[in-house]
Amino acid sequence: MSETVAFTIDLDGRRQIGLAEADATLLSLLRDGLEITGPKRGCNQGVCGACTVMIDGWPQRACLTLAAACEGKSVTTLEGYAEDPVMQRLARAFAEGGAVQCGFCTTGMLISARKLLEEEAKPDPDRIRQALSGNLCRCIGYRKIVEAVTAAAEGAET
Amino acid sequence: MQVDGSITIAAPRALVWQRLNDCAVMQACLPGCERAEETEPGCYRVVVAVKLGPIKARFNLVIEITESEAPERLACRTRGEEGSRASQLTAESEVRLQALSEAETEIVYYSEISLVGRLGKFGLGVMRKKADQLAAAFASNLQAQFTDQGVV
Amino acid sequence: MPAFVQRPTRLDEALALKAAQPDSLYLAGGATLVAMKNAGLIEPESLIALDGLQELSGITRLADGSIRIGAMTRHRETAASPLLTGSLAMLRQAAGKIANPPVRNMGTMGGSLANADPGADYPAALVAAEAELELMGPEGERRLPISELFLDWYETALKQDELITGIHLPTPSAAPSHYRKLARVSGDYATASCAMVLTADGGLRVAIGACGPAPLRAPAAEAALCGHLHDPKALAEFSQSLVDLADPIDDVRGSADYRRKLIPRLISASLDRLLQEQPR
Repeated sequence: MSETVAFTIDLDGRRQIGLAEADATLLSLLRDGLEITGPKRGCNQGVCGACTVMIDGWPQRACLTLAAACEGKSVTTLEGYAEDPVMQRLARAFAEGGAVQCGFCTTGMLISARKLLEEEAKPDPDRIRQALSGNLCRCIGYRKIVEAVTAAAEGAET
Repeated sequence: MQVDGSITIAAPRALVWQRLNDCAVMQACLPGCERAEETEPGCYRVVVAVKLGPIKARFNLVIEITESEAPERLACRTRGEEGSRASQLTAESEVRLQALSEAETEIVYYSEISLVGRLGKFGLGVMRKKADQLAAAFASNLQAQFTDQGVV
Repeated sequence: MPAFVQRPTRLDEALALKAAQPDSLYLAGGATLVAMKNAGLIEPESLIALDGLQELSGITRLADGSIRIGAMTRHRETAASPLLTGSLAMLRQAAGKIANPPVRNMGTMGGSLANADPGADYPAALVAAEAELELMGPEGERRLPISELFLDWYETALKQDELITGIHLPTPSAAPSHYRKLARVSGDYATASCAMVLTADGGLRVAIGACGPAPLRAPAAEAALCGHLHDPKALAEFSQSLVDLADPIDDVRGSADYRRKLIPRLISASLDRLLQEQPR
């Protein structure tokens, strides 16, 4: 399947056209066709969560989504949250709280955490662990990550 | 992965031995076998197709008889790959024939199989179940070789 | 050349596309199919995506009180459905134990069933619920009891080009039900699982998952146990009848022997839980 196709997707609030192979995943289209590098290519099997992006408002795996199936859907990557105050608070809490070690899992973690804070303003640690259970951190930095999400949620009041 | 077991065939041992060494019989009995030819004495080229759910694979195998003690023991080495795809299979197998009576033979088989590449990623637990099923199908096909031809 | 991913909006269109392309596959949520494609395990010539078919979505209560789950309903929606109560609560619980939130936002009930992974969570829950599948194929629509779907390891009774369009469940009763899953870590496939519902006549329906190509169920043993739920000997005999039906695999999640040992423990733990919940 070497045939290259132009895909039109609603990406980060803009209609964008990218080139990829006809059977490409959304992850390939984003990273290789559109040079959006927030979503990472980890396992390519849907297990690690590093490629997690928002599709029609729900965190999903870019590596398990075909680019062609995204036409007409809205895709948001971390890049699309640049101006989002909740994401800015999360990113600051991750950086200040030592929740970023190698950083490979971080963008996926942030997407899942962003969805959680949309559903629940003040999640308890158990709820945070559940929401982030599809994002693996091989530096085993989970504790700091859970604390950072808690801190970002608490920071919303001030 | 180890695959072992035994099957009982209602036919005398000498006859079972003879059929086991007959390339045409093997092609007819081996489930999914599309082609089998003896390239030189004791050496066979075999094409076998297997299917597990949506996964389909076709192996080109070279089977070489390494030890043969008629009519009771056979050892062979199998090497092969999956067309242009990236799975390699190697196996060391041993087959023993025991006469249970004048008219019944037990075939005891043991195989150490190694599968690497794309199919190696698939769970070996289910592969072993599949191997057991193939052995059972082989047994009933082999039995039919004798029953259908009125040998027993 | 037809597009690699085709997105029909009508069921008859989907069937026609599938029939015209022998090496195509139906694409549901993609959570397993695309992973298999990425791993090089399958190489379909094209994919017929089912997400544009309205009749395959949503959970609805029908006029007679029974429930229909569209085959493309995501695990997230099933896990949160207010319609799955009492005797059907185990199905909601099973959906909530599949993988993790992003995968539950993708995966569908129909896709999971068609894939027929023995370690998946829905099969046991649907067998215990006595669900019926709504299928559509080139020869038209038909119904199939869930107990007849799983023929062998990863093999189903679906005919060529046939697809699951919906899952039908009997009207839920107030009888408590429970889905219990033993897995190495949260979100893994089950090492073994148990779906159980108490019945009004003092008995139970039980299905054991991940211990064979299909969920295990023993109707005769269920009948014998009826009225004797508090009798440890009767319960042990019942559990043994399910152990006898098991044909588990040896794999990284556990040996076949270990899985057999889990069956009685899952049953007694589930029953304890349900007897506590039962209205007195």
